[in-house]
Amino acid sequence: MSEAASYGALLDAVRGVHWPARRAVSSLLPGAHHSTLRGTSAEFTEYRLYRQGDDPRRVDWRLLARSDRAYIRLANDRAVLPTTIVLDTSASMAFPVATRDKWRLAQELTIGLAAVAHADGDPVGVALHDARGKAMNLPPRTRRDVVAEIARVVLADQPGGSEPLAPLLRGLRSARLVVLSDLLGDEEDLLRAVRAHIVSGGEAHVAHVIAREELDPPRRTLLAADPEQGFVQRMLVESSRREYEERFAWWRDDVARRWRAAGASYTEVVTDEPAPRAVRRVAASGER
Amino acid sequence: MMSWVLPSALAIGAVACVALVAVHFIARDRPVAEPLPTARFVPDRRIHARTTSFALTDLLLLVLRIAAVAAIGLGVAGPTIAGGRGRVARIVLVDRSRGVLSVAEARDSVRSMGAADVLIAFDSAARTLTTPRSLDSVEKTGAVGSLSAAFAAANAAAGSVASRADSIEVLLVSPATDEEVDAATPAIRAAWPGRVRLLRVHADTTSTPVGGGLELPRTSNDPVVAGLSLVPSGELQSSVRLVRGRLSAADTAWGREAGRVLVHWPASDSVADWPKRATIDAIGGVASGTGALVARLPRLWAVNGRAIARWADGEPAAVERAFGAGCVRDVAVLVDPASDVTLRAPFRDFARALLGPCGGTRAFGSADSVTLSRLAGTGPLAAARLFRVAASESSRFTPWLLLLGAGLLLAELGLRRTSKVAA
Repeated sequence: MSEAASYGALLDAVRGVHWPARRAVSSLLPGAHHSTLRGTSAEFTEYRLYRQGDDPRRVDWRLLARSDRAYIRLANDRAVLPTTIVLDTSASMAFPVATRDKWRLAQELTIGLAAVAHADGDPVGVALHDARGKAMNLPPRTRRDVVAEIARVVLADQPGGSEPLAPLLRGLRSARLVVLSDLLGDEEDLLRAVRAHIVSGGEAHVAHVIAREELDPPRRTLLAADPEQGFVQRMLVESSRREYEERFAWWRDDVARRWRAAGASYTEVVTDEPAPRAVRRVAASGER
Repeated sequence: MMSWVLPSALAIGAVACVALVAVHFIARDRPVAEPLPTARFVPDRRIHARTTSFALTDLLLLVLRIAAVAAIGLGVAGPTIAGGRGRVARIVLVDRSRGVLSVAEARDSVRSMGAADVLIAFDSAARTLTTPRSLDSVEKTGAVGSLSAAFAAANAAAGSVASRADSIEVLLVSPATDEEVDAATPAIRAAWPGRVRLLRVHADTTSTPVGGGLELPRTSNDPVVAGLSLVPSGELQSSVRLVRGRLSAADTAWGREAGRVLVHWPASDSVADWPKRATIDAIGGVASGTGALVARLPRLWAVNGRAIARWADGEPAAVERAFGAGCVRDVAVLVDPASDVTLRAPFRDFARALLGPCGGTRAFGSADSVTLSRLAGTGPLAAARLFRVAASESSRFTPWLLLLGAGLLLAELGLRRTSKVAA
């Protein structure tokens, strides 16, 4: 099966989905999102009295002729929203071992969200660690084959290692960051970096990828080993199962609360959810 | 034929081997770790998960362990190859008591039975003869025979021949008279775990007294004389002379004759030269084999010899000593001249033992058939292994087997370490 065939159905499923910016964008390039700038676009908004320093070319000469007062025409600008998808490729994403559902869902989310952003005319790129643990950044582009390029990079990668995600965010210039991760690595540092990005005017989305098997582990005696921290090995038995579920649920609630408090859009995605639906939920989470 | 010094060690070794196999296949181990990214949320408690594995793993280790335990078990059990297969050791008990008519007859009987491993001569006590030639020196004694002593000696001697034979036979050469069987004889005989071959010789019925009379001093107002005069003469088996004063030459000459009993019973402390007791006291009674006399009696002398009567505290009150072919009895019981205790029946009962034949009453009649059959017993000969003392036996294979076990354990240790390194 070719790469295109593997995600072609997904692209068909997310066609028509829009991903609006959560607030006005300060970008200069014209795009589909509301801009913080008001300029000369054809979409008229209001008049304002001419003030010294305004560009004389924006004066509405006809209105000046009728009213003998100088007004300038104001119009809302539209701008693009450069988007970078940060994909977690740590070893914990390769779970369950047999099916790698978390990794598969994260790949599909990456491709789907890239396609949605690209369809809105936004530049889109991806940042991740390659199979050797080396940081790799595909800068946001608007060219036609960017989604295919992103798909090729993502599908060629393999989860492994335990490289932190936060350093990947520091060099990114995109206004919109999308983090696709299980947040089981450097979640604190990641949240700190995202908070800094939001404070500087950007917006952030996080899709928290969770495996069904993590929510409902096998009902048998299990020596659970953390794939990223081999020294963490704990016995999961029926008597401790309830406490495990309570602690995991409390942690997920806490993560969601903290990320939302930081101004990010938080979406919990479970592996048994179809990828197109998850893409729609992530895209819709930014609407206000 | 192979035998074992400690056969129970074989059973213990077998149980240990079975336990080893069970422990090998019922292994407790940690389950295999499975990745779970959210393992950090599992409560960190000390939980022991038990799994049962029936896999045939580490078979070589198991074989080494079993071989080591088996070798050690065999070593402790101590295999021995018996040299005397089917051999029967013989313990011969030769009676030389007064009941035997002729010891020569007993000697001839023993010789006719062939060689003996252990030769024991007995009367009231038993003595092991060191060499077969010692049999010629065995002579008849005047002591009462005791089959109890004979069987006890046989039991004690069995241990010395048990290692050289499979079975032990006891050959009893004795007339087996009534007087040789006492209350302990059945129990001691039952302690011998096999049948006994009984070879009876003739009893000395010729020495049995057939009748006698009592010569009393011609004195008046003597309570002892008065009391003894009431004893029916038909009860006497020997000729008995009572002397109340000092023994005269005529008395001693009379007492030397066979079958005669000279009873020296002083009427006062001045007519006897016996050693005095350290403390002269009085005691409440005196008893003989035929009766007891309850009265306040003074004790002046300490007499020595075969006790015929004893004071209430066990000290001899009357003794018998051989004198020529007869015997003399010293009766250290002073009777108050004014007492009438001697006129009563208990005195006569007490005195019958004093008037009996030398050596006491003889019962040379053959023991009854039931007793004889019990003495002989039934079934096989006694097994020699019952008399072997485990601690005294050893096996020449034991050190080598223990060494082999230690070597196998070392090999098991090495193999286990090698397996761990490989893992």
